[in-house]
Amino acid sequence: MLKLQHISKQFDGKMVLQDISLEIGSGEIVSLLGPSGSGKTTLLNIILGLTKLDHGSIMYNGLDMTHVSMKKRGFNIVFQDYALFPNLNAYENIIYGLRNKKGSVSEREVQDYIDFLELKPHLSKRISELSGGQKQRVALARTLVTKPKILLLDEPLSALDGVIKESIKQRIQSIAREFKLTTIIVTHDPEEALTLSDKILIINQGTISQYGTPREIIGQPSNDFVKQFIIKQLQIKRQNIFNLFGERYA
Amino acid sequence: MHKVKPEMRILLIAILLLLTVILFLPLLALFIRSFETEQGFSLANYSSIWMNDEMMIAALNSIKVSTVTAILTTILAFIPAYTIHCTRAHRIFKGMLKTTIILPMLLPTITYGFAMMYSLGNQGLLTKLAGRNLFDIYGFNGLLIGYVIYTLPPAFLLIHNAFKYMDKKFIIVSHLMGDRPLRSFVNTILRPLAGALGGAFVLSFILSFTDFGIPASVGGTYSVVASQLYQVMLGSIPDLNQGAVIAVLMLVPAIFAIWLLRSLEKLNFHYDQLGEIELPTHRVRDFSFLTVSSVIVFMMLSIFAIMFIAPWLNRYPYDLTFTFNHVLSVLQSSDLTKVYRNSIWIAVLTSVFGTLVAYCAALLNVRTSLRARSLTDTASMITNTVPGMVLGISYLLLFNGSSLKGTVTIIVLCNIVHFFTTPYLMAKNSLSKMNPSWETTGELLGDSWFKTVYRVVLPNSAVTVIEMLGYYFLNAMVTISGIIFLVSTQTAVVASKIKELQHFAKFNEIFVMSMLIFFTNLIVKLLCDYGQKRFSIHR
Repeated sequence: MLKLQHISKQFDGKMVLQDISLEIGSGEIVSLLGPSGSGKTTLLNIILGLTKLDHGSIMYNGLDMTHVSMKKRGFNIVFQDYALFPNLNAYENIIYGLRNKKGSVSEREVQDYIDFLELKPHLSKRISELSGGQKQRVALARTLVTKPKILLLDEPLSALDGVIKESIKQRIQSIAREFKLTTIIVTHDPEEALTLSDKILIINQGTISQYGTPREIIGQPSNDFVKQFIIKQLQIKRQNIFNLFGERYA
Repeated sequence: MHKVKPEMRILLIAILLLLTVILFLPLLALFIRSFETEQGFSLANYSSIWMNDEMMIAALNSIKVSTVTAILTTILAFIPAYTIHCTRAHRIFKGMLKTTIILPMLLPTITYGFAMMYSLGNQGLLTKLAGRNLFDIYGFNGLLIGYVIYTLPPAFLLIHNAFKYMDKKFIIVSHLMGDRPLRSFVNTILRPLAGALGGAFVLSFILSFTDFGIPASVGGTYSVVASQLYQVMLGSIPDLNQGAVIAVLMLVPAIFAIWLLRSLEKLNFHYDQLGEIELPTHRVRDFSFLTVSSVIVFMMLSIFAIMFIAPWLNRYPYDLTFTFNHVLSVLQSSDLTKVYRNSIWIAVLTSVFGTLVAYCAALLNVRTSLRARSLTDTASMITNTVPGMVLGISYLLLFNGSSLKGTVTIIVLCNIVHFFTTPYLMAKNSLSKMNPSWETTGELLGDSWFKTVYRVVLPNSAVTVIEMLGYYFLNAMVTISGIIFLVSTQTAVVASKIKELQHFAKFNEIFVMSMLIFFTNLIVKLLCDYGQKRFSIHR
C-alpha cells in the first residue's frame, strides 16, 4: 500500500501541490486526472523520486520512502515519449537494466514478458522501425523486467493513434491484474481515466478536487470543477456517440 | 531534469579548473603584462604604441587590406552559394562546387603565399601562361589574394548554411506577384540573407586581420599588425611588454567583430516550416552563375596547382623533367619526417583530448542542472573571440618559466583552447536534441550516470563526436598563428617548419611538406565523412 501524507511542493515561490494526502491499495490502478498545469505530473515525479517534495511523506508498505533515492525506491516509470534508446534494438532495450541486476530475472521470465506483450516478431527491429504502439510495449517490457513495486505511466495513450488506444488500455489493465502491480497513470482525458482505472484522483490547481471510483465521481461529483470539466465533457461525448448510433443503443 | 550527482559536480570542477589554467590565466597574464613597465604598472606601453608610427601604419594597413578582402570575399562566396541553392544547375556540378571550394581549408595559410610566388611570381606558372607579370604579389596584392582564398571557404559555408534555412517559396510568390527581377532578388534573397552576408563580411575581416601565415610569406615590406607582433616578440630585440600591448590591441577588433556577428544573426529570417520547392527554369541564369562560380573555384585552385607540380620537376621553371628526387629527399630527411610525425602526433592528441574536453563541457552544460554550468558557455564565447596569435602570446607569457615551455603538451593545450568553440557548439547542438529522460530512465534501470552516458548518450552522438574529432585534427594540422610562439626545435610542426625553410628558399621541401599535410587532411576528412555516414545510416 502506498500512502501519501500532506504533500506540498513549490516551484520558484509558486504553489504547485498543496497538502495532498491519499492511499493507494496494492494492485490498484489509479489515474491522476487534471488539466495541464494542475500539478499531476509533479505528483507523479514526486512518487517516482525524481522531484523532491517540500513537505509531507511517502510511505510504502509501512516503510518511509520520503528520503529514499529514486534508484533505491524500486518504482519505475514509462515516459510519455518512451525514452527508448535509439542506438539499441528493441530486445537490447528490453534487457538494458538486467546487466545492472544480474540474476534478478531469469531468461524464462524475460521471454514471458515478451510473449505477454506480443513483442516476439519485433525484437531485432531498430527503434525507428517500430510503430507507436510497439514502442509503447517495448518501453513497458523494459520497465516490467526490472520488477518495479509500482508502475508509473505518464500520459501512456496520448502519443498513440486513436485505433490502438483501446487495445493498449486493455493491455495496461491486464498487466495490473496479471502481475498484481500497483499502477499510477497520469492523464488529462476524463474518458481515459474513468474507463481505465479503479480509482481516480482529480487534481485542480495543486489540490485534490475528488478521489474516488468512477461510479462515485459520476454519481456524486464533489464540486463544480468536477461537474464542469469532467462530467460535462463526458456528456458531450456521450451525446455525440448517441447521435451517431441512435438513442436505442443507449 | 534529473538530479545533480556528485560525479557531475566533480567533472564540472575538473573542466572549469582546466579552462582556468589553459584559458583564463593566460589571458590574465597578457593583460597584466601589457601594463607592466620598468617603472611599475602604467599605461606607458599603450601610449608608446600610439606614438609609434610604424605600428600605426601597420594597423591602418591591416584595416585597409582586411576591409577590401572582406568585401571581395563576401561577393565571391555568395555566387557559388547562390548557384547551389537557387539555380537548376546539375546536381553533380553543385556537389563538385561544394567540395572544391573548401579545399584550401586543408592547407596551412603559410603555404598559400608560397603557392602564389610560384604561380603569380616573376617565373610563376600563371605568369608564364599569361606571358607577362600580372601584378606585384609582394605586399597589398599578395595579401589580398591570400586572404581572399583563406577566408572564402568559411564565408561560403556561412552563407551556404543560411541558404539552407531560407524559404525558397517566396521566390515563387514574388514571381507570381509580378516583381521585376531586381526587386525579386532584393526581397527574396538579399534581405533574408542580410545577416549571413554581414556575418561573412565580419568573419572574413577578422580572419584576415589576425592571420599570420599569409603576411609571413607574401607580406613583403607591407607591414600589418600580425607581422609587427611577430617581429616585436621574436625579432632581434624582443619586447614582451610591447608584444602584450599589440596582442591586446588585436583582441579589441576581435571582440567588436564577435559582438557584431551576434547582432547580425538577429537579422536572419527564421522560417517555421521549410518545404522543398522546385524553382522556375531559367537557362541563362543557371548557365551564367555556374560559369562564374566555376571560374572562381578554378582561379582559386590554379594558384595551388603549382604546389602539386613543382616538386615532381627537376628544377622548376628551368628544368622541367620529371623526378622523384625532391619527394624522396624529404621522405629520407630524418629532420623533416620528424616534423611531420610531430604534426600528426600533435593533431591526434589535440583531436582526442580536445573532443573529450568539449564534449564533457557540452554534456554538463546541456544535460545537467548544475548551477555553474553556464560558465562553459562563457569559456566558449571567449575562445571564439581570442585570435590564435593572441592566445599564443598569452601562453608564452604565462608558461615561459615553467617546465611546459617547449613541450608538445603546451601546443596541444593551446590548440584545444584555440579551436574550442566550434566542437563545443556541435556537441551542445546534438546533445540538446536528445530525449531529456534518458538519464532518468538509465538510473531507474540501475545505471550510474557515467554508465548511461557511456551506454546511451555517447553512442547516440557518435556522428557528432566524429565530426568534432575531424574538426580538431584538421585545424591542428594547419594552424600556425596559434603555435608560432610556442614551438621549439624539438616540437616543430610542419606549418612552423615551412616558415623556417622559407629562409633557405627551400621551396620544393615546402611544397612536399604542404602536400603531406594536404593529403593527410584529405584522408582524415574522407574517413570522418565515411564514419559519419556509417553511424547515421540507422537513425
